[in-house]
Amino acid sequence: MSDTLSDDASGGDDGQEDVMTPAELIGKLEEAWLNEKFSPELLENKSEMGECVMEQLTHMEANLQRVRRGDVKASVHRMEIDRIRFVLSSYLRSRLQKIEKFFPHVLEKEKSRVEGDPSFLSPEEFAFAKEYLANTETYLKAVALKHMPPNLQTVDMLKAVPEPCLDSFVFLRVRERQENILVEPETDDQREYVVDLDVDSQHLMRYRAIAPLVSSGAVQLI
Amino acid sequence: MDPSEVEFLAEKEVVKIIPNFSLDKIYLIGGDLGPFNPGLPVDVPVWLALNLKQRQKCRIVPPEWMDVEKLEEIRELERKEDTFTPVPSPYYMELTKLLLNHASDNIPKADEIRTLVKDIWDTRIAKLRLSADSFISQQEAHAKLDNLTLMEINTTRSFLLDTLNCMYKLRSNLQPGASGGKAQDHH
Amino acid sequence: MFCEKAIEIIRELHRMGDGQLPAFNEDGIRQVLEEMKALYEQNQSDVNEAKSEGKSELIPTIKFRHCCLLRNQRCIAAYLYDRLLRIRTLRWEYGSVLPTNIRFHMCAEELEWFNQYKKSLATFMRSLGGEEGLDITQDMKPPKSLYIEVRCLKDHGEFEIDDGTIILLKKNSQHFLPRWKCEQLIRQGVLEHIMS
Repeated sequence: MSDTLSDDASGGDDGQEDVMTPAELIGKLEEAWLNEKFSPELLENKSEMGECVMEQLTHMEANLQRVRRGDVKASVHRMEIDRIRFVLSSYLRSRLQKIEKFFPHVLEKEKSRVEGDPSFLSPEEFAFAKEYLANTETYLKAVALKHMPPNLQTVDMLKAVPEPCLDSFVFLRVRERQENILVEPETDDQREYVVDLDVDSQHLMRYRAIAPLVSSGAVQLI
Repeated sequence: MDPSEVEFLAEKEVVKIIPNFSLDKIYLIGGDLGPFNPGLPVDVPVWLALNLKQRQKCRIVPPEWMDVEKLEEIRELERKEDTFTPVPSPYYMELTKLLLNHASDNIPKADEIRTLVKDIWDTRIAKLRLSADSFISQQEAHAKLDNLTLMEINTTRSFLLDTLNCMYKLRSNLQPGASGGKAQDHH
Repeated sequence: MFCEKAIEIIRELHRMGDGQLPAFNEDGIRQVLEEMKALYEQNQSDVNEAKSEGKSELIPTIKFRHCCLLRNQRCIAAYLYDRLLRIRTLRWEYGSVLPTNIRFHMCAEELEWFNQYKKSLATFMRSLGGEEGLDITQDMKPPKSLYIEVRCLKDHGEFEIDDGTIILLKKNSQHFLPRWKCEQLIRQGVLEHIMS
């Protein structure tokens, strides 16, 4: 049994990507999970990563079907699968919740994206967001707006639905040293200043100040 | 974040066990484990150690720091210093709880250890409350939080962040037209 | 006072607390819509009068009514949208079939929205990964690899646990089982957790 499982553990890369071991892939998933959980806005989609993880899980499940029932090894694999599936589901859930919460803004951002820039939504999430918007608009129209005076029959969703608050505070751990990160003053009688972020140090500050560092992987939200 | 999720992350930490069975190497997606030989120590993640322990397939070797003398030292230092001192493990609290709840027979002086870790935790949480309080009243925009563990951060997270967001909202409403009439999420 | 009804329906929803869905206040909505109709018609005639007879003193009143109209619109949208968010949460709590007493509190259009939401979510989940997709409404809590001791309260027959072992759940037998496998049977009263 060990052989069938070990062969498949390295599957999932099609040769075009940087070679990443399955263990590194799971590490990336966990990073993305925590970042998505704690970031006030929707982060870049990592659908390729999600697909690779799903592939790993499917392979492992398939192999387990062939294994003698009651095997200790099988139960260990099963536990690991459960753990990974939880992280993946929780990650995708966090994303979907934000898409639902901020749908007009998420769609607007996707529309104004320059060709070639990374997309924030996977094709499936994009389809979901569009349906969510259409469904909600149809609903509002049918139940109330169409009965209102002619000049009041539309609602600007971008204005009506709150947008993510990038000024929220977040906790973070530094992976790559950063210098001169600007800290904006909180009140008028304070002055702005800069901080250096040393590797492995932890900080509490506004998301806006470090948002690009989250996407580049230089800091990890915790 | 739900505390059970922090515990879930703690369960990834590696602990030594002494198995009473033999098994070839296991090739998990997250890396290889084993081989397992009766009486020979081997490193496994805590989730597996607890499972094997419960099935009476192993004895867990407590982490080096889970020791009365060492913890007493840490406790004294933590009480003496105003800042947060380095902890023996980023998941010291969860690991203590997990191992003592499910493998206390493998841990010498389990009760004393439980008390010591609780003391350390209480001292640190008291410091955390004080610094959160001063962070808010000084209207700081940045704080360095070295040596704080995820579980510690998590105990104060929602209260602290909600407070800060709320204050931000009140302040930005003081500045005319600052928010441009746009709705913002201050969850 | 204008807009009072609109505030009232929002208060009513607010009073219910998070996650609860009161009956759809059709009558409240209708009253707000009627007020809007009246405000709009008064404004129409005043606008005409202001234009044809140059009565500029009417303009503040027109503006005031327009503000009331906007406020009414905003309140209704907030009421409806907040209900949608509650209904959305119900999908995650109850699954795709809602209990009758909850459906009873929804209007026809809300049911329609719910069905469409269900469909979109199902399509999304099917599209994840392999052929079967991934049901992300499951695995809400981290898995626990822990076992618990249980006693069987009635004959239940064979039961397969995750590692494939098959055990016989016979009345009064005791077992050491993965906790997550037992939870449902404990709820059903087949097993009881033995606290040591």
